[in-house]
Amino acid sequence: MAITEKEIKTLARLARLDFDDERCREFSGEFGEIIAFADRINAQVGGATSDIREVGGREIAYGDLRDDEVKESLLNEKVLSNVQSEGGFFPVRRVVK
Amino acid sequence: MKYELVSGFETHVELATATKIFCGCTTAFGGEPNTHCCPVCTGQPGALPVLNKKAVEFAIRAGLATHCEINTVTHLDRKNYCYPDLPKAYQISQFDKPLCEHGYVELESGKKIRILRIHIEEDAGKLVHERGFTLIDYNRGGVPLIEIVSEPDISSPEEAREYVEKLQLIMRYIGVSDCKMQEGSMRCDVNISLRPEGSEKLGTRTEIKNMNSIAHIEKAMRYEYGRQAEILSGGGKVEQATMRFDETTGETSVMRTKEDAQDYRYFPEPDILTVNIPQSEVDRIKNSLPELPLEKLRRYIDVLHLNAQNARLIYKYKAACDWFEEAVAAGASPKNTLNLIVGTVFSRLDTEEDKEKFDVGISGAQAAELIKLLDGGKINATLAQMTLAKMLETGDGVEKFISAEDMRGMDDGELTRLCKEAIAANPQAVADYKAGKEKAIFALYGYLKRATQGKADVQKATEIIKSLI
Repeated sequence: MAITEKEIKTLARLARLDFDDERCREFSGEFGEIIAFADRINAQVGGATSDIREVGGREIAYGDLRDDEVKESLLNEKVLSNVQSEGGFFPVRRVVK
Repeated sequence: MKYELVSGFETHVELATATKIFCGCTTAFGGEPNTHCCPVCTGQPGALPVLNKKAVEFAIRAGLATHCEINTVTHLDRKNYCYPDLPKAYQISQFDKPLCEHGYVELESGKKIRILRIHIEEDAGKLVHERGFTLIDYNRGGVPLIEIVSEPDISSPEEAREYVEKLQLIMRYIGVSDCKMQEGSMRCDVNISLRPEGSEKLGTRTEIKNMNSIAHIEKAMRYEYGRQAEILSGGGKVEQATMRFDETTGETSVMRTKEDAQDYRYFPEPDILTVNIPQSEVDRIKNSLPELPLEKLRRYIDVLHLNAQNARLIYKYKAACDWFEEAVAAGASPKNTLNLIVGTVFSRLDTEEDKEKFDVGISGAQAAELIKLLDGGKINATLAQMTLAKMLETGDGVEKFISAEDMRGMDDGELTRLCKEAIAANPQAVADYKAGKEKAIFALYGYLKRATQGKADVQKATEIIKSLI
């Protein structure tokens, strides 16, 4: 299956990658190869991507799911140990105008 | 041209489990930011989700209560999107195999709003936008949600109101959520399109996101109807878009259009195994469902022949209905019990929350001992009301307040004497009554009530007073 430069641009935008026209051209070739490889794998397992789960084919019985019992949460300092916190929050650059 | 409104709802309901859907952190509302968090619900690398059985059970309950079929083999999927309210950059949800499908919510008219699907998923964190920052609190992240997706069967803001109210009631009755819209435990996305009246073809829709009040839903729908009708009658085309509703202006505005609609790249969640639910478990949950709100309302009106207006006041509160039914089961008449709840008990419960809890200090069975005296004509309604108020106040039984003497009531001679006293003591009220103010007579009842501690029979007293003045 061939992939167009337009599709590459859409994927790049969704993946937050900055691709110029030249990179897009390069990539459309590489992508074709990657997809061909995925097609080969699909052919081996005999199905489309939605059958991915069938490869493992494992199920969990309802009775083995987790019971609804509260466990202690992490200490706030620990939760925030990798960030410079603002009043107990995780701060990021403002995401709305 | 006249246009017909076509609307479908996506309703998110937070499930009332003790813990989050994939970890043991508490789901308690509020709390200091990021104190109900762990490696799983903050999306730390390597942390693995473990599905909460109760969340699955509650979702099945919700499905059965809305007449859905249950998919006993179900799995979860990743919905990818990049926004800071999701620490993993994906939400674990369900895509092609939702837990529940093909149900309906019935309105009082008998119209059925079809439910396309109900699936389980995790809630996102809460964002606060301040100055140059967005501050994130992941306490809500991972709280179990069900998303209830309706078919586009809603055709007016009034129907939308009833649909949301009915859904809210059902979820409260079956105990899966408190559905407090103001706290965000129930939120609606409203899809709206218009089509020429009589046409079968659906128009282009817009979606108003995250509505958290029924009044706002109605307002937003009216506004959006007007906006789309104006475009269409001007020969224009409605653009598919996601909208937001501004509570202060009462207007909707475009958040994003179809051009930048997101590609969620759904794929099966590899960290959670396919869940296999035995049919016997589904049957057990089905058998544990209580009588549902609309069935109850219809039974109250059609079978118990209760006043429809009063029945409507009580059926919204399950605990009040349970109390009512306990009193009736103990032998009290449904009619008098309901009148006392609406007239005396509800007046002591100020907030919706109080009515919801219906924590009134005495049991329905205790109240029945009083109501049976009223049913049997041993006491009159006024005395019953006053005694019930005292019982509610103290938590004591009826025997504390009503003696054998009280039950004999009052003979006519004594009542006539007191009526004369009441007339003499309230000349102004008597004059007003004579001048045509019917309500002035209430002042005389007040006097009698105080003088007899409620023992006077109001109906008899009215006859006597009217004959005297």
